[in-house]
Amino acid sequence: MTAPLQGNYGADLKFWQSEKIWIKAFICLELQNSQRDQQWLKTLTEHKVPILSGVDTRKLALRLRRKGVIWGLVAPLSQQISVRQIITKEQEKPKDWTKFVSVSEPKEFKGKKRAGLRIVLIDFGFKKNILEELLKRSSSVCLFPSNSSFKLIQDWKPSAVVLSNGPGDPKEVREGTKLVKKLLGFRPIFGICMGHQILSQALGGETYKLKFGHRGSNHPIQDKLLNRIYISAQNHGYAVDPKTLPKEILVSHVNLNDHTVAGIFSKKRKCLSVQFHPENKPGPTEATALFDYFIKNLVKRGR
Amino acid sequence: MPLIKGLNKIMIIGSGPIVIGQACEFDYSGVQACKALMQLGLEVVLVNSNPATIMTDPETATKVYIEPLKLDYVKKILEKERPSALISTLGGQTALNLSVELEKTGVLSKLGIKLLGADLKVIQSVEDREQFVQLLSKLGARCAPNAMVRNFKQGLKEIEKIGFPVILRPNYTLGGAGGGVAYSREDFKIKLAFALTESPSSEVLIEKNLLGWKEFELEIMRDKKGACVVVCSIENVDPCGVHTGDSITVAPQITLSDQAYQEMREEALKIIEEVGLETGGANIQFAVHPQTGERMVIEVNPRVSRSSALASKATGFPIAKISALLAVGFTLDEIQNDITGKTLSCYEPALDYIVTKIPRFDFEKYPGSEGVLSTQMQSVGEVMAIGRTFKESFQKALVSLEKSEVKAGHSFDEKKLTYPNSDRIYYIFEAFRRGYTVEALSHLTGIDSWFLEQFEDIIKMEKKLLQSAKPWSANLIHQAKRFGFSDKKLSDLLNVKEKDIYKFRKKTGLFPSFYKVDTCAGEFESQTPYYYSTYWGQRGEGQKKPKKKTALLIGSGPNRIGQGIEFDYSCVRGVGELKKQGYEVALINSNPETVSTDYDTADQLFFEPVSLEHTREVLNFVSPYRVIVQLGGQTPIELAGALHSESYKIAGSSVKSIDLAEDRGRFVRVCSRLGFKTPRSALAENLEKALQAVQTIGFPLIVRPSYVLGGRRMEVIQNKEELKHYFTKYSQFFSKARPCLIDQYLESFLEVDVDMVRGQDWAVMGGILEHIEATGVHSGDSMAVLPPQRLKKEVGGKIERLSLALAEELKILGFLNLQLAIREDEIYMLEANPRSSRSVPFISKATGLPLVDLAIKAMMGQRKKELAGQLKSWRSLNNVSVKGVVFPFKKIKKTDSILGPEMKSIGEVMGRGEDYPTALTKALVSSDFHFPEKGEIFLSLRDKDKMFLLSHIQDLMKAGYTFSATEGTANFLKKHDIPCVYVKKVLQGRPHCVDRITSGRVVLVFNTTSKNSSIQSSFSIRRSCIDYNIPCLTEAHAIQAFIVALIEKKKNEWTVTAL
Repeated sequence: MTAPLQGNYGADLKFWQSEKIWIKAFICLELQNSQRDQQWLKTLTEHKVPILSGVDTRKLALRLRRKGVIWGLVAPLSQQISVRQIITKEQEKPKDWTKFVSVSEPKEFKGKKRAGLRIVLIDFGFKKNILEELLKRSSSVCLFPSNSSFKLIQDWKPSAVVLSNGPGDPKEVREGTKLVKKLLGFRPIFGICMGHQILSQALGGETYKLKFGHRGSNHPIQDKLLNRIYISAQNHGYAVDPKTLPKEILVSHVNLNDHTVAGIFSKKRKCLSVQFHPENKPGPTEATALFDYFIKNLVKRGR
Repeated sequence: MPLIKGLNKIMIIGSGPIVIGQACEFDYSGVQACKALMQLGLEVVLVNSNPATIMTDPETATKVYIEPLKLDYVKKILEKERPSALISTLGGQTALNLSVELEKTGVLSKLGIKLLGADLKVIQSVEDREQFVQLLSKLGARCAPNAMVRNFKQGLKEIEKIGFPVILRPNYTLGGAGGGVAYSREDFKIKLAFALTESPSSEVLIEKNLLGWKEFELEIMRDKKGACVVVCSIENVDPCGVHTGDSITVAPQITLSDQAYQEMREEALKIIEEVGLETGGANIQFAVHPQTGERMVIEVNPRVSRSSALASKATGFPIAKISALLAVGFTLDEIQNDITGKTLSCYEPALDYIVTKIPRFDFEKYPGSEGVLSTQMQSVGEVMAIGRTFKESFQKALVSLEKSEVKAGHSFDEKKLTYPNSDRIYYIFEAFRRGYTVEALSHLTGIDSWFLEQFEDIIKMEKKLLQSAKPWSANLIHQAKRFGFSDKKLSDLLNVKEKDIYKFRKKTGLFPSFYKVDTCAGEFESQTPYYYSTYWGQRGEGQKKPKKKTALLIGSGPNRIGQGIEFDYSCVRGVGELKKQGYEVALINSNPETVSTDYDTADQLFFEPVSLEHTREVLNFVSPYRVIVQLGGQTPIELAGALHSESYKIAGSSVKSIDLAEDRGRFVRVCSRLGFKTPRSALAENLEKALQAVQTIGFPLIVRPSYVLGGRRMEVIQNKEELKHYFTKYSQFFSKARPCLIDQYLESFLEVDVDMVRGQDWAVMGGILEHIEATGVHSGDSMAVLPPQRLKKEVGGKIERLSLALAEELKILGFLNLQLAIREDEIYMLEANPRSSRSVPFISKATGLPLVDLAIKAMMGQRKKELAGQLKSWRSLNNVSVKGVVFPFKKIKKTDSILGPEMKSIGEVMGRGEDYPTALTKALVSSDFHFPEKGEIFLSLRDKDKMFLLSHIQDLMKAGYTFSATEGTANFLKKHDIPCVYVKKVLQGRPHCVDRITSGRVVLVFNTTSKNSSIQSSFSIRRSCIDYNIPCLTEAHAIQAFIVALIEKKKNEWTVTAL
C-alpha cells in the first residue's frame, strides 16, 4: 500500500466484497496495532496473509513504476529458500486465474424488484457490490461459474448478462471468452474490469499488459455516454488495444491519465463494458449511473 | 473550449490587510491567479490595500492599484480601467462581499463587467443560512437544528426549541467574527445581543452545537462542464467547537472508512451542484458523530479559502491557479498537471505521506486574553509539516511552530484538558506522562482515540529514551527520528547537547531522505522538485545536479506578531532576483499560507521546519553555493551563526557583522563614535540596583528581562512606585545571570525607520519612514508616512549620512534596517537589524526602488559598475504614502487596545495620495476606521496632550461635533470655550463614561494615558469601544492625524492611481 497508514478504521465485515482475502501478502509502512484496535492486523493473520510492515512503500512503488510489474515474494529470513524456485513454481501454475476464484455452482439471488429483469452475472471473481447494484434493479440475479455452458445460461432465461471483474491476464481466460462470443447477440452484455477485457476479446479485440497497471480510487474517466468527466476506482494490470477493436465498437470511455481504453459500447452488438468499477465500494460513486444506462438503453429499449 | 470570448482585461480583488481569519493565503491565491491569467496573455488589473503582499508588486499584474477595498474606490478604478470581467473568489470574504456590493449596486452591469467565479445567487445560497438550510434538506443532507434570528426577542423564543449549547453565527461576517458558543441562558443573552450588532444584516443563526463531533473538510473543484474533483480531504484533530482555522488538522482524513468517506464525498458533490457554483474551488465542512457516524453539513465556502491554500500545499494541486483558469473558460481536462507534466488537472491527488497543520497563537502578546479556543478564529499564523506517518508529521509541525514547548509539568491541571485551548496538546502529553489512559483522555477531550493513541506512542517513546543510557542504541534513535523527535528534543531527553545527537547520527549514518510531493503517490514521474524529509526512507529521491550554482534561501516560518507576510515578500522577491542572476534557487519554509511555499516560486522547495537541524539537512542535500539569511526576518538570522560555524557560506554581511549589530555593548560604542546618540541604559539584578541606575538614567524607563523573546514583560515605568511594583511582580525572572535591562525611555520623540542596502562599493538609501505616533508605540504598531512630513530636511540628510557610515562601519553587505528617535537635531539609535525588515515592502512600493533585488545584488557581490542606472534616489517622489495598521483586538477577547512597546498589530495597509491628508485618509479608510460624520466625541486626555490637541478639537467643534469628557479634560475644554458634557470616570460611580459609550451616544473616543495605574483604570473605556465598534484612539499624534483625516474625508476629493 502506498498510503502509509493502514488499518486505521478496523476491518468491518460489512465492507467485505469477497468471501475471503485473496492477496498473498500485505506490505505497508505502518499498520494499526493499538490495544483498542487491531482488527485489520488480526483479520490478515486469521486469513494467513503474511504482513510486512515498516517498509518504505514509496520506494517500492517507484521501482515498480520504473521497471514495471515484477514477481515478488514475502518470506521469513530464517527459512532457507530459493526465491527463484518458488516463483518458477508459481509461474507454472495454470494461468487462467479466474477459475480459482469463480463459484462452482450457479447460485440464484432474489432481486428488489417484484417483476423485473432477470440478470445473469458471470463470475470471474465478482465483487459483492456488483451483485448488490444488480439486485437493486432486478427481480432475480443468477451467479454462474465462468466455465458454464451457453446452454445452461440460456435455459435460465435471462434478460441481460453481466460479466464480473476478476484477476489475472485476460488472454488466459479462453473458455470465458468463448462463452461470451456465444452470448453476444443472445442478450445485452455489460462487462466490468475483467468482464470488459473478455468482452473486448470476444468482439475480436486484443489486450496487452500495462507497465504497472491502474490501481486506486482517483482515476479520471471521460465518459462519452453520460457525457461527463468523473473519477473512478480502478484495479487492473491489462488494457484493451483500441486498434484491434472492430469498427462498429465505440471507445466510449477513456482514462484521462494515459488515454487508454476505459470502456466500449455498441448499440448494434448490444454491449457495454468498462475497465473501472462503477459499482464502487471502495471508491467514488459517480459511475453507478452506468448500471441504469445499460438497462435503459440496451436492455429495455432493445426489447 | 478554452477562454470565454471577449475577455481581455480581468479585475482581481485582493483581501486587504492581514487580519485574523484572512491572511497571506489570499496573497498566495491572488498571485497564482495573476500569473496564470497573464500567461494566457490577458491583462490583469489588481486592487488591494495591503502593501506587504507580493500581489501588489508592480510586476505581478498589468496594473496594480493599492487603494481601499471599498465600493467607492473600486468603482472608480473600474470606471477608469473598464475590465471585461471581475473574478470574485480569490480575495477571501472581503473580495466576495465587495463583489456582491458591486453587483447589487448595479456598478458591474452598468459598466458591462462580467462577474466570474461565484455569482450573486451562489454566494447568497450558501451565506444566507436560511436559504442554505432549505437547499440541504432538498438534497436529503442534514445540518444541525437551527434558526435564523433577527431580533433579541425572537432569539429567546427559538433557543427554547433548540436547547443548549448553541453556536451563534452572525450572517455575512468574516472568520466567524461576533459568533460564539453559549452554554446557558444568561450567556446566550449577552452573546446574542453582541452577535446581532456584528452582522451587517442584523441576522444571527443560532445552531445546536455539535460539540464533540468529528470535523472534516473537503476541497472541491468544479468546471463549467460539471466535472468535479475532490482535491483533498482534511480531518480536524480537535472536534467540533473550535474554528477550523484554530484546529490542528491532518490531510488526508484518517479515521473515516472508505464507505463513510465516499458518502460524504457524494453529498459534497451534490451540494456543489445544487448551490449552482459554475466554476472554481469550494470548501465544505462536515461534522460526523463519533459513534453513530451521522453526518451534518457545517458550512460551504464557494471560493478559494485558507483551507484551499493548505490543500494546495498538501497535495501539489494549485487550486487558485486552476480556479482562475476555470473562471475564464477552461475545463479540468484542458489544464495540465504541472507536477507530473504529463497528466491532467482532472484527477484526485493521492498522498503517500501525512500532512499536519498546527495553528500558531500569540496570546501572550495580548495581556488579559485567556487563550480559550472557540468558533471565532484567534490564531495569527500556521505551520504545515509533512512526514510519512502521523507521528513524524505531527512532531515536525511542533518544531515548525518555532515556539518552545509548553512544560505542563508543574502547572498540570486536568481542567485544561476539558476545553480547547492553545496549549492543550502539551497538557495531553503531560497527562500521558502521568498515566492517563486513551479512554480517559478521549472522554475528557473529545479527541478521537486514534489520534490520542498516536500521542501516547510519542510519550511511550519519550519514556524509553529517558530510560536509555549511553551508549545509545542506534535502532532506538532511528525509531525516535521516525517518530519525528527533533535532535533538540532528543538532546533534552537524553540530557546532552543538540550537537551530540547530530554527531551520533553522523557516526551511525542516520540521515533523513528527501521525498517528493508529487500529487500521485509515485504513480507518475514528478517534474517538480517539491521535497519533504523523512526518516522512513530507505534512500531518497536523488536529484539531477543542477548545472547552475545553487543559492538556498531560508524563509521566515509561521506568521506571528512581528514577523509576517512582509518577510515572505522579501523572500519571494529575492527568489526572483536570484533566478535572474542565473542561480538555481532552493527555499526552505514551513508556512503553508505563503507565496514562497508555492512549488512554482523557487526551483526547489523544501517544506520543512525552519530549525537548525532541518536547515542543515537541506543544506547537506543541496550543497548550495551560498545561503541567504537576510530575507526571512529574525528566524534565519538566528541560524546564521551556527551555520557559519559549520562552514556553510552565508551570503552578504558576515556573521561578524550580524553579531556586532546585535551585541549591545560594542554596538553602542560604534554608534557614539559615528555620532549617534544611544539611550542611557543599565543592567540590574534587583530593585536596589535598579533604583541606583535610575539616578543616572532618569525616568521614564523602559524595562524588560534579558533573554526573552518578542518583548515579553516589557514595560514603561514612570516613577519609583511603578518600578517597585514591576520588580515585585517579576522578581523570579531576575538574577545576576539574568539581569533586568533598563533603558532610558525616549518619550514623545519623533521616530523613524530607515531601510538601506549596501554593496561592496555602493549603497542605496531605501527611504526614511516617519512614524505618526511618537516613540513609545512599537514601530510595527505605529502609522507612518513617506516622505517624512515633520522631519527637518537637514536632519534627514544627517540621518542618511550617519546611516551610510554605520553600514560602512558594520561592513554590511545587503540589508540594514534602523530604528531611530529624533528630538531637534539629536539622533538616537534604538535598534539596528542587519536584515530585511517589516518596512521593506512598504518603502519599496512607496518609492519604486526594488530594494530586495538590490540587496540580493549586494549579497552576491555585484559592484557599482554593474549597477549603472539602478541606484536611484528615494526622494524623487511625486506623491505621499501612509502606512495604516490593523489590530486583532476584536477577535481576542478581554485584551486592552492601548498601544505600547509590545507589538500587537497583525496587518498593514497603504494609502497613496497627492498630499498627506488624502493619503492618510485612504490609509485610515483601508484599515477599516469608521469616520462618524457628526455626533459626540468622548475625550479623556492626559495633561500633556491637552494643549497639543486643543486647536484640533476646536476644528472638530467648527465641523459640528459635540463633546463629553472626564473631569480634568472637561475643565480644560470649558476653559477654552469648548462646550462639553462632564462624565464620571468608571471608579467615580454610575452612570459613568463606559455607560455613556455603551449606550450608543458616543461616536468617537480619544483616550490618552501613560501611568500604569491609569492605564488599568481606563481599560474598560477602550475595551467597550472595541466591543461596540466605536473608533478609539489612544495616542496624541494619532488623534491629530485622525482629525486631519476626518476633516479631509468630508471634502470627498480623491483620485485613484496605479503603481
